[in-house]
Amino acid sequence: MPDTVSPGLRDALVAQIGNLRAFGVSLCGDRERADDLVQETLYKAWNNLDSFQEGTNLKAWLFTILRNTYFSERRKKKREVEDVDGAYAAKLSSSPEQYGHMDMRDFQEALSELPDDQREALVLVGAAGFSYEEAAEISGCAVGTIKSRVNRARRRIAEALHLNAEDDAEPELAGPAPAASRSA
Amino acid sequence: MTEDDKDKAQRRMAVDASKSTERQDHGVVEPAAKPDASMSPALQAHIGRQVRAVFDSVAEEPVPEHLLRLLKDLDDSGEN
Repeated sequence: MPDTVSPGLRDALVAQIGNLRAFGVSLCGDRERADDLVQETLYKAWNNLDSFQEGTNLKAWLFTILRNTYFSERRKKKREVEDVDGAYAAKLSSSPEQYGHMDMRDFQEALSELPDDQREALVLVGAAGFSYEEAAEISGCAVGTIKSRVNRARRRIAEALHLNAEDDAEPELAGPAPAASRSA
Repeated sequence: MTEDDKDKAQRRMAVDASKSTERQDHGVVEPAAKPDASMSPALQAHIGRQVRAVFDSVAEEPVPEHLLRLLKDLDDSGEN
């Protein structure tokens, strides 16, 4: 690590922990393991702060470290385990309560059943606030690849939830979310 | 739980789940992306809101103490 870490940079790291945890959970579907990933990410980041240029995108840098850590572990595990994606789905379906209502639960499940690369792309662009270009950099692939992954992820989710992707499903979607009328 | 336990748990789960999840997608064949004409903006927005809600539900949780402590410890130790 650098001789001195500016308090500003340290605070900026702390400020990203929540996002990193959310990204970690979205990748592995396991909160405990996600926290391990975050811990490893922070440790690596801290020890490589020299290579980070202040003023550039810290969030993207941290996300890159986390996903690389995850995927390289996953590759190792894949030699032992046939289907890590399946582990994700199984884990999620065993802890439904933490997300309030049905709607979210179904969505959560559809998300968990996406292939890793599609889920990652959708989360980076759709939730973590990255541009396609940034997401491509984080995932180490072409911008067009990210776009097509996001599109395919959306389509799969729409299919899984029986949302009509072909028509303009405006009325249904513009209506109040099921949660809004939930009172019983 | 030790690292080893976690590994085992993970593996058990994976074995169970592999029965029901048969999928072939290695992200290799990626058709060129074009604006997604097959999906309405409303539906895209709907899905976007949901992904964000899932993400934010974790992102907005209080940060676990041990993660905050890690940075503090690294800061104090000045190791490396």
